[in-house]
Order: sequence, then C-alpha cells, then structure tokens
Amino acid sequence: MWHLLRDWALMNASIVSWLFGLGSLLLFAVLVVHLLFALLLIIPTWRICSRAGFSGALSLFHLVPLIGSFVVMAILAFSTWPAGEAARERR
Amino acid sequence: MGAEIAALGSLLGLTSAFALVGTGLAAWMAWRIVEKAGLPGWTGLGAVLITLTGIGTVVPLILLWVFAFMRWPRDEHRAVLFVPGAPAATMPNPQLAPPRPALPAAAAAASPMARGWQLSGAGYTLSFNATSGTWIVTGGTAEKASDLSLPDPSIGRPHARLLVAGDRLGLEDLGSPGGTMIDGARLLPEHGPRDVSAARTIRFGTIDLALSRS
Repeated sequence: MWHLLRDWALMNASIVSWLFGLGSLLLFAVLVVHLLFALLLIIPTWRICSRAGFSGALSLFHLVPLIGSFVVMAILAFSTWPAGEAARERR
Repeated sequence: MGAEIAALGSLLGLTSAFALVGTGLAAWMAWRIVEKAGLPGWTGLGAVLITLTGIGTVVPLILLWVFAFMRWPRDEHRAVLFVPGAPAATMPNPQLAPPRPALPAAAAAASPMARGWQLSGAGYTLSFNATSGTWIVTGGTAEKASDLSLPDPSIGRPHARLLVAGDRLGLEDLGSPGGTMIDGARLLPEHGPRDVSAARTIRFGTIDLALSRS
C-alpha cells in the first residue's frame, strides 16, 4: 500500500516537472520568435526613424507586443519630422 | 454548448473588428508617413491593406525594408546645398523634381529680364534687387540696409538669412523658435543654406509669403 502511494506521488511530481519544463520551453520559444520578428521590424524602422530625424531607439517600441508598432507609426505619422518633410501637395 | 459557441463567435467577431480598425488606422498612418518621405500616399496605404488579402504579412514586411533603404524623393530636391557664386550647373536636376505646372518663380527665373526677388503675403512685401548679397529677415526694426523687417511676434530677431547669387536665391534658418518652412517642408539651422530659387512659398513663423521674381 505504502509503495503504491509513493509511486503515485513520484509519478505526479515527474508529470508536474515535465509540464513545467514544457511550459518554460514554450515560453522561451515564443519569446525568441517574438524577438526575431520584432528584429525584422526594428532594423528598417530604426533607419526610417533616424532618416526622419528621430532617435533610432524609437524603433525599440516594436518590442512591446500588440500596440508597440502602432506607437512608432503614430509618432512618425503625426509629428513634424526634425530632419524635414517632403513638400505637401501644391496648392 | 450553443451559448459557448455564441460566446466564442462574438469574441472572434470582436477581435476581427479590432483587427479591421487596427489595419485601417495603420493604413492611414502609413499614408501620412510615406507622404512625408515624398512618396504618393496610396503606396503606404496599399502596403498595409495588402495584409487583408491572402498574401499575409510577408509582402508588407518586404515593402517596409524597401521603404527604409530606398532613396526618398524628399532628399532628392532638398539635397543640394546653396553655394553662393556656384554655377547654375550645380542646381538640382530638374528631372528629379516633381512636375510643377505654371511655376511662377521658376518660369521667371528663366527670363533674362528678371533681376530681383519678391516675397509677399499677409500684408507684407519683402523685395530685394541685386545679383549678389545677403539679407537678414528680422522681427525687429530694419537697422541696416540689408535687414528685411517682418514685425510679427512669431519672427525671430534675427530669423533667417537670404542669399542671392546670380539667378539663384538661398535661404538659411538662423535658429528662430517660430521656424522656417520651404513649400511646407521644415528648414532647420543645421541644414545650412538651401537653394529656394524654385520654391513657391516660404513660411517665416506664422507668415506665409509667396516667392516671385520682380
């Protein structure tokens, strides 16, 4: 009876630790994929920001999930570019 | 079970509505961004709206890279620095500039009779007749012959420098808080003197002035 209980506890512990391991591995994989994808956006946006006259570090907003890209785009779209803008449509 | 499916359906509907609003917002912002770089706005809008088609996000991502590393039309007609006394051959290539129908300043610049320059608008007229020289635009009173007075609170003291060399006119911002714009594009002190011979409007502070030959 005792050894049955011990086996059951051991099995439970191994399942839990296995699940924890899988969970952290998944989390790690999600993080790496997110970073890689963000990097694909950060490199060109860094250049766009610095050409517009802003700090290139502004592009690091892409690391913020969901709304980060919108923040960078809004800053670029609704501010006056310090390095100058193209002339607007001729009146 | 039915209630769960309905709840899931409404959740999916909500997220797709959010995605639609987000895409629309991104398309509008992309329109504004590419316009600032000098490209037609629809290119940015189209690049974002492609995500709604089956192509997915790869094509917009490629277009983002292309946009970041391509030559921007903004830089092409602002790139040439104004060097007083430099021959007209160093002017920006007119092929690169966007078509400007009925451009009064440029048309008059071709005329050998044209001598001076005139900036007029908002009740002010600044004119200067010479083939070479430097004028200072100031918000204060004109103390020297080379001062051009624009008595307005938005004009710095001094505000900007105008340089005439032959048939060409240069403009340099002197770090005024009100700012200087050439055809809607901001001119900063670090840009140095810019060739504005073909510009149509110059904005000092809050005053819009039309550039013409006199």
